[in-house]
Amino acid sequence: MLLLLKSIQKHFGGVVALRDGNLEVSAGEVHLLMGENGAGKSTLMKIVAGMLGPDGGEMHWQGRSVHFHDPAEAASHGIAMVHQESMLAPHLSVAENIFLGREPKLPLGWVNRRRMAERAQRIIEEHHFPLQAEWRVDKLSPAGKQMVEICRAIQQGSSLLIFDEPTSSLSETETREVFRIVSALRERGIGVIYITHRLEELRMIGDRVTVLRDGVTVHTAPLADVSTNEIIRHMVGREITTIYTRAALPPGEELLRVEHLTREPVLRDINFSLRAGEIVGMAGLIGAGRTELCRALFGIDGIQRGSMQVAGQRVRIRSPRDAVQRGLALIPEDRQRAGLATALPIRHNFTIASLARVSRFGFLNQNAERRIATDYIGRLRIRAASTRQLAGRLSGGNQQKVAIAKWLVGGARIFLFDEPTRGIDVGAKIEVFEMMDELVRGGAAILMVSSEMSELLQVADRILVMRQGRISGELSGHITQEQIMRYAAFEISSATTEEPRVAERPE
Amino acid sequence: MIQRLLPFFTLIALFIILSIASPNFLTSTNLSSVVRQTAVINIMALGMTAIIISGGIDLSVGSMLALAGLLGTMTMEKQGIALGMMVGLTAGMTCGFANGLMTTSLRINPFIVTLGTMGIFRGLALIISNGLPVHEIPPSFSYLAEGTLLRVPVVLWILLLCAVAMHVLLEHTRLGRYAFSIGSNPEAAYYAGVPVRFHTTAVYAIAGLLTGLAGMIEASRLMTGQPTGGQGYELTAIAAVVIGGGSLRGGEGSVLGTLVGAFIMGLLANGSDLLGTNPYWQQVIIGAVIILAVSFDELRKRRMAK
Repeated sequence: MLLLLKSIQKHFGGVVALRDGNLEVSAGEVHLLMGENGAGKSTLMKIVAGMLGPDGGEMHWQGRSVHFHDPAEAASHGIAMVHQESMLAPHLSVAENIFLGREPKLPLGWVNRRRMAERAQRIIEEHHFPLQAEWRVDKLSPAGKQMVEICRAIQQGSSLLIFDEPTSSLSETETREVFRIVSALRERGIGVIYITHRLEELRMIGDRVTVLRDGVTVHTAPLADVSTNEIIRHMVGREITTIYTRAALPPGEELLRVEHLTREPVLRDINFSLRAGEIVGMAGLIGAGRTELCRALFGIDGIQRGSMQVAGQRVRIRSPRDAVQRGLALIPEDRQRAGLATALPIRHNFTIASLARVSRFGFLNQNAERRIATDYIGRLRIRAASTRQLAGRLSGGNQQKVAIAKWLVGGARIFLFDEPTRGIDVGAKIEVFEMMDELVRGGAAILMVSSEMSELLQVADRILVMRQGRISGELSGHITQEQIMRYAAFEISSATTEEPRVAERPE
Repeated sequence: MIQRLLPFFTLIALFIILSIASPNFLTSTNLSSVVRQTAVINIMALGMTAIIISGGIDLSVGSMLALAGLLGTMTMEKQGIALGMMVGLTAGMTCGFANGLMTTSLRINPFIVTLGTMGIFRGLALIISNGLPVHEIPPSFSYLAEGTLLRVPVVLWILLLCAVAMHVLLEHTRLGRYAFSIGSNPEAAYYAGVPVRFHTTAVYAIAGLLTGLAGMIEASRLMTGQPTGGQGYELTAIAAVVIGGGSLRGGEGSVLGTLVGAFIMGLLANGSDLLGTNPYWQQVIIGAVIILAVSFDELRKRRMAK
């Protein structure tokens, strides 16, 4: 046995993050670690990697009791973590990053660059990574960066690799590549701990699964012995149906109409409309222009041609401020960077987009503000100690709720959700869907961008598909994933009803 | 929480130590001289607090202080005190406004913009005055810096008024809230529809106004308009904010903290004068205090994050 954790405990101030964390990992095993946001997965892994010290419990590494004081100590024992967000030096080369801190030396402490490049190239070739030793890291895709981190772990002779949601920002091809590498690591007898939220992924790579809930290890089993539904049940602690369904509402008045919107080269002649009570899905491959469309609609990026109408009125939106005043709301893909002020209390985050509602002559009414915050924390079931808690200290799902609540307070009616469920767990996902449903019941319209087709099928009333900056198709009624894929990946005219001939012309 | 109050305790401890160590410390003459000496820096530091909270910095306030004081006193020579004061304040506000406008519209880092205007304002002051100080000031103008009202120095009243106003501005108005949100995460603020440019510019203009006021008090204290005055004040003002818990990364800082920070430095200077410490050591001590204060603060934040 490689790693054994026994009733690990950890608390931050008054908040208990881990109550009873147990985990065992063998060599040559891919061990999945699952749980809702805030269940304690990341905390547990940070303890293993030496980034945090436990408050109680035992940790055994290769049969011996250990206690790591910092990541370097964990690394020297052969434990490495591949981070969700890259921890590399972007201006250095792949080789330099692989050897960072342990460069091959010449006498007098000079770096032996030739040797470093050769050895890096050897690691890359041995594992068939699509990399070159001399490439600069900031030119790499997120997947490429992860591979560099994996190379580094291999170079350090790690015997345990921790992956924290490695595929959450990757395309499908890249995801497959990561899977291939994980399997290769397993075959070499390396232990892998793999944190994921994507249920579809787990059977493709995992051997065993451990589920955490509220800081407690609730279940460990070989993956072959548990059904996906069982895992979900352990995660949320209650029976839920995997498939979320909502009843479509009769569409109301037209809230948003977009005509001929163009921003070369990312957006070309976009036409669509949103009605009150509607959730419209937006599918497409990565790079099809979906995020760019949201940004252009919200006034972040300028447009060259085209017009927009909000509730029948022609408007020009040149900045997010214009957009907010017209009742638009954007929940951006990257909420840490663009959706929240993480160092400010959640109370301030709730009202930031609508301070005019809680102020008079420029002065804030802090009682009103506190009431709003308390109200939304209750209504949205946000897990927070108080309205003064810093937004950055909430879990991902709760952060997303705060980012959405900001717009509810302001009374927005047209919502642009860009990948609203990225990086949040099943329970929180369903809560986000419920929030969206509640919004449209209250007369709002939603455009929901998502890369998870199954989600769109569950939530959206109709689905627009984007491909290379254009809307390549619109689907409604009984929609299948295959249909979406066709419009997203292949060239077909949206008017054809007959079976499109796609097989001969893959892109 | 206790660590957050550390600057405050330091100030009290310093006060007690000095009261015991020197019989001349706890006298109204000495205390009002401390207030008079620190009032100028204090008022500038209040403006700097708002700037630093909004994620900015202003290196030009020392030169701005000299320019505002000079223009104010020059006006005073012929047009009287009231108009002179107005010119001084307006000059400060205009300079701050220019700083804000340049950072927001040219999108240049405020460090660079104000490094530039630090030279520009200083140069303008020297050009306008031909390098010579203004001396012909109405004698009654000294009341501003030296006078008392209800047995309390006038400058202390002014400082208190400014501090209360700045506290209300930061904690109870939209402008203040926007300043915090811009400093904490400018992109999120922009996405939320916050008029980032307008409020950033406003913050610099308000800080400029306070610097103009400080410039007039400085002129009254010295009874001259000095084109070469205020050198190095910008760093002392920044130090006061930082000792008081302000973060150069933005989003953090408070009026009370800044006042405490400025008074800590004021007491250190006053104490070493009273105790006859070598004045050269003063700079070493104050430098060490800045580093200590910030490292304690970082330690506290890191422990909170864990």
